[in-house]
Amino acid sequence: MTTQSSYSDQKGLNLLQELEYILDSDPLIDEVGFIHPSQFVALDHNGDDDLLQSEGGIESSRRLQANFSETGKLRFWCRDHKLGISTEVLFPLYNAAKHLFMDVIRQYKILRNVYGEKDNMESDVMKHSRALLLLSCDFGTAWNSRKMVLSKEQDLSRFMDELHFSALVLSYSPKSEQAWSQRRWVIRMLAERCPNLQDIVEKESDLVRKITERYKMNYRAWNHRGWLVSYMTISQVLNELNKSRHWASLHVADNSCFHYRRRLLLKIFSSKEGPSPVPNCTAILYQVWKEELDWDEMLIRRYMGREALWLHRRFLSLFWIKHIAIELHGVLSHLEDNTAQNNDLAYFLDNEFQLLENCSNIPDSDFEDGKAQAELSASHFSWLCKQCAKSLPTEIQEKLKTRDLKTLLHKMCPDKSFLWDDLGFDEPSANCIGPVDEN
Amino acid sequence: MEDLVRELAVDKHARYIVSVEKRKDDFESVVMEHLRMSGAYWGLTTLDILGKLDMVDPDEVISWVMSCQHESGGFAGNIGHDPHILYTLSAVQVLALFNKLDVLDIDKVSNYVAGLQNEDGSFSGDMWGEIDTRFSYIALNCLSLLHRLDKINVEKAVKYIVSCKNVDGGFGCTPGAESHAGQIFCCIAALAITGSLHHVDKDLLGWWLCERQVKSGGLNGRPEKLPDVCYSWWVLSSLIMIDRVHWIDKKKLIKFILDCQDKENGGISDRPDDAVDVFHTYFGVAGLSLLEFPGLKPIDPAYALPVDVVNRIFFGR
Repeated sequence: MTTQSSYSDQKGLNLLQELEYILDSDPLIDEVGFIHPSQFVALDHNGDDDLLQSEGGIESSRRLQANFSETGKLRFWCRDHKLGISTEVLFPLYNAAKHLFMDVIRQYKILRNVYGEKDNMESDVMKHSRALLLLSCDFGTAWNSRKMVLSKEQDLSRFMDELHFSALVLSYSPKSEQAWSQRRWVIRMLAERCPNLQDIVEKESDLVRKITERYKMNYRAWNHRGWLVSYMTISQVLNELNKSRHWASLHVADNSCFHYRRRLLLKIFSSKEGPSPVPNCTAILYQVWKEELDWDEMLIRRYMGREALWLHRRFLSLFWIKHIAIELHGVLSHLEDNTAQNNDLAYFLDNEFQLLENCSNIPDSDFEDGKAQAELSASHFSWLCKQCAKSLPTEIQEKLKTRDLKTLLHKMCPDKSFLWDDLGFDEPSANCIGPVDEN
Repeated sequence: MEDLVRELAVDKHARYIVSVEKRKDDFESVVMEHLRMSGAYWGLTTLDILGKLDMVDPDEVISWVMSCQHESGGFAGNIGHDPHILYTLSAVQVLALFNKLDVLDIDKVSNYVAGLQNEDGSFSGDMWGEIDTRFSYIALNCLSLLHRLDKINVEKAVKYIVSCKNVDGGFGCTPGAESHAGQIFCCIAALAITGSLHHVDKDLLGWWLCERQVKSGGLNGRPEKLPDVCYSWWVLSSLIMIDRVHWIDKKKLIKFILDCQDKENGGISDRPDDAVDVFHTYFGVAGLSLLEFPGLKPIDPAYALPVDVVNRIFFGR
């Protein structure tokens, strides 16, 4: 038993050495993946000559050898800075990486506050945690050990390397919470020394775009991009709105992207006040919001039955009514004229109702998309009425009461009848339809 | 209902959980070892709800849990790993299941948790400073179970959670972050534990939550996502806490969860016909318990522990 386990330990250590050698030889590796042996065959035929070749020609043949097992099976594959690890070696490799890492971190924690040279130990911590995290992305203790070493060194280029490394982990595990968290830790460290983070913010934003391209609806990735908004200038915010518009229109079901846009819009809203208000911010806000509403309506009409688009509309319209049409109207038009404001509001709500009418009367509503569109439109309009009712002038409130929302909702979305009954959507009563009683 | 009872493979699920705990011979099982403490909480709570907690040896579990405690007072996900608030709550919950909170140095554990509160009321997950409303919930749940809420500034903790509320009525992981059913559960449960649910617009949030039910009867955690059994816990418990659970179709949800069982080998998956795991087995069974499925122990929607365990802690019976 002992012989057998020490044999497999040795096998694991050899594998780990090979992996660490490959990683050291090509610091530019930017993608890693686990590959089933049968997939290696396909890669293999794609160009044996390039296998593991980086800079040195003589070296490459030796490394090529090193990556086959005794039975001739390929264990690692590396080309064009892409690394593949055979699924057959993951178990022994992981065990070896974990044991070496746990040993070195235990010693390091004991000795790190004791005077003396610990460079070797620190480089072992970094080396073994790197291998371990490429196999188990959320091994928190390994990420922590790296933070421990990095915060002691306080070396700018090492912080940048850490951004590269966590991106490598994200290439095989785009939802890794720990990898995203590590990036935020690094960026907070960098922010302490250089207040200008424009470049980093831009690169981060780009990384998220690339990752979400391959893995849709990734909450952690989008949340990371949203976290960056607080570091952005207004021109960056506007630029981000522009850059993400095309992406969003190609991914109309990705609520996270639309939420990111909401976050950007709110950043503009909050920039009109505070210690250093952005000049002309109110006009920018008005313009951008209007464009977003029109763009969203265009997408709604083009892509039927998409929940994320309608939820985006809830936010846009409610905010428009409460904070732009009512609060900012006076500022924008330089008029204190209530009639103009009410007309604006009435016009806006009429447009929303028109959208509902168009979307709920789709001839082919036997199709799922048509049904969903009708359901979402009814739900949107009712939600909006419910949420903004108290902010509206009385006469507009009264006008809204003439719409028979209850019947509409029960017809369009019968499976949510409990909700509609409870929320108290009244059927229109006779006195609501008549002229508005000023009392 | 009689027919339904037979639909839940109680014995097989219990055997599945016990077997997973012993598996250590492949990559898929070892790669999860850093969060074994949470795995223990999911597995053991499931066993307790199923009335099968006697299938494990309490002494073995407790001595392992205690060997994961760090000198700081916090618990790690496994022996030799770093402590984190996530695993500290799991450890306290596991000890609570076995009525063994008395093995803890209560002040040491609660000082660790209280020490993670920040100036703005939020909580970090560990000494490295990542902030999340999940950690707020964990801190409040943990300190409440240990009767040590007085060690933190509860008012500020509540204020921070409320600052994470969105226009749709939901909550995200930090202020401004997208609403997510998992984060909503954390925030609502934290507000429930501190008696602060008046900060919630129940109709607005309830509307968003009941829109998580899709045609198959299952619940998703965000708009346009596929349904997943784990949201049977997060969405459902939130709806119960804000008293709006009658807005969803419970019968269809029960059927969805039952369809996610592996009736041959035990365990529950995220969706019908997927591979099972302990995490989804827990959330499936806990969801059924919230739906008052016959034969299961009722579970508390805020503390995420069986109601009898919570009563024992707060009413000493």
